[in-house]
Amino acid sequence: MSGQREIRGRLPHRYPVLLVDRVTHVDPGRALTALKAVTCNEPWYADLGPDTPEEGFGYPKPLLVESWCQSAGVLATWEAPNPDVLTGQVMLFGGMTEVEFHRTVLPGDVLEHRVRVERRVDDTVMFEGESLVDGETVMTVGRIVMAFRPAEVLRPEAS
Amino acid sequence: MDVLAETRPGAPAPAATRSGPRAAAVLSGAVEVLPSQREGRTSTRFTVAADETVLPGHYPGFPIFPGVCLVEYVHRSVLATAPAREPGLELVAVESTRFTGPVYPGDALTADIDWKPVDGVTWQCRAKIRSGRGDAASVRLRYRRGTDGASA
Repeated sequence: MSGQREIRGRLPHRYPVLLVDRVTHVDPGRALTALKAVTCNEPWYADLGPDTPEEGFGYPKPLLVESWCQSAGVLATWEAPNPDVLTGQVMLFGGMTEVEFHRTVLPGDVLEHRVRVERRVDDTVMFEGESLVDGETVMTVGRIVMAFRPAEVLRPEAS
Repeated sequence: MDVLAETRPGAPAPAATRSGPRAAAVLSGAVEVLPSQREGRTSTRFTVAADETVLPGHYPGFPIFPGVCLVEYVHRSVLATAPAREPGLELVAVESTRFTGPVYPGDALTADIDWKPVDGVTWQCRAKIRSGRGDAASVRLRYRRGTDGASA
């Protein structure tokens, strides 16, 4: 099991978008399982009033994807960590295909992200997997593409 | 009074809209609906304010608007421009996305969304997001008609 020290040593993300709490299994270069606990103390819930229907507390689906992708990022950088986005090789989110949402995720749920490396071509890694809550699949990820590029490509003057 | 004040980034979203305070919100700025250019296409505008909620953590000292927030922008745009007969569209899949250019605080984005009915209860929404520097993302989302008035 790996906690925040290992996660923060690999991801540049911080509050309020550090969306991986714990790594429970790593098979370096191949697969990883991570947990993320959803809580109503996240800022997305701050402004909801008393008229909000129960489903209005559903965890925003793009953030489910982000949390899963960060788990993929931990796996991708497991053996060569670089938590700095200003130097070295940085990880860019290239795109995704066929990400399906099966069930609303609510505060109190603990997401279990299962990430597998599907393919690696040069500096590009493709992942697949799913997310579960209490053993039930809430999201399936057909493919996510991450590209490793020199940090300079992120600077405004370079684009 | 500044006439732009009502549409400035970060202005409070109008109360009681389907896409507003009735659901958890990733974006703090408001999505502005633009006049429709043609049948089957809707358009919106969104400016990435420096105080967007996600930016302090993405990344500290080097803010970049996350790709998934562009997906959220399209999702909010879809809900804000949905046909009146579709009050409860539910996002069921991200069919595809391609992030083609970084987005920074201060960027003014537009999204053009093409609506395609798939069957009686499903819509495919294809969106193109552009910033002042050119294309930022292509996003294709799939929606299903909900069973009540709350959108997710």
